Amino acid sequence: MNTTAILHILTKAPRSSAADQMQQAIGEQDSVLLIEEAVSAALEPDWAVWQQYPSRIFLLSEDLAARGLARIAAENDLPAVGMDGFVALTEQFEQSVTWY
Amino acid sequence: MQYGLLVMGAPYSSVSPHSALRFAHTIIARGHSLSGVFFYHDGVHNASSLMVPPQDELNLYHAWVALHQQHDVPLDVCIAAALRRGLLSEAEAQRHGKQAFNVAPPFELTGLGQLHELQQRSDRFITFS
Amino acid sequence: MGVPMSASDALLVVIRHAPHSSNVLREGLDAALVAAAFGKPVHLLFMGQGVMALLKEQGSGAPGQKATLPTIDMLEMYDIDKLMVPEETLQAMHISPDQLVEGITLVASEDLPSLFQQHAQILNF
Repeated sequence: MNTTAILHILTKAPRSSAADQMQQAIGEQDSVLLIEEAVSAALEPDWAVWQQYPSRIFLLSEDLAARGLARIAAENDLPAVGMDGFVALTEQFEQSVTWY
Repeated sequence: MQYGLLVMGAPYSSVSPHSALRFAHTIIARGHSLSGVFFYHDGVHNASSLMVPPQDELNLYHAWVALHQQHDVPLDVCIAAALRRGLLSEAEAQRHGKQAFNVAPPFELTGLGQLHELQQRSDRFITFS
Repeated sequence: MGVPMSASDALLVVIRHAPHSSNVLREGLDAALVAAAFGKPVHLLFMGQGVMALLKEQGSGAPGQKATLPTIDMLEMYDIDKLMVPEETLQAMHISPDQLVEGITLVASEDLPSLFQQHAQILNF
């Protein structure tokens, strides 16, 4: 059967039911983009999702900068992409699911 | 590629309309086309021509209208979700005996079938909520 | 466990919000019903608080609030017969399968990612 890797877009904080539900749904080859409230994950480098999906999870840099979290994300070595990078991820992944 | 967007957050309650607009402009800047934006759930409030935010805030209604004017993007609003929240076109206002209306072109009240149709014909379908 | 065989043509509608809290549940189910009315195969997955829409003893809400159970009962008429719940959700919510309406398919946690990946179209409510 055809399967499609998914881009999971989280808009809520790491300790939210939306985040918990997303964690249950993330599969092999999937990626995660953290936008809006979810960029507060920059403050939690030991969040399970960072540990489980290294190099497949990204913060949206505009939303980090707006919240004063860009430097903290960089210090914690957490990867960020800009709006262009967000679109590039959607180009790469046929399917996306937004968790809110 | 053809993109379709679903917006479910209300302006000034949720930040998702802002995210959706930034995303819309970015996909177009990267050479993709935007087949349509569908407003559902609280997102239908984006269609209100009567919103009056303070002058130092982005007027989201104007921002959507500008997106339509610049790039000819259809702006479809779920009619059932809109009517129950008091968003009416002139025709719906007449039909329901109301004295005012706040939805006018380029926003169009339409059925949920349009949401599925948009998802079906888009190469990429992204939800903002 | 039953990940449906023809999953790739079907729309997966994910319901994560409870009755009588917001209108997300109702509008999510409406989206499922309309897709089915247009002839689209629809699969429903209830996660988190969304599973409360399936409790068989639920009544109507506070005065003026519409009940959800009649809509759940109506799904079958629209050929929506794949109602799925992750086992993990039931455990986390302390709900046993016999408290739910009939015909629910339980999904093991390890099968959840592939369930998502097998659907070409997903709407998450």
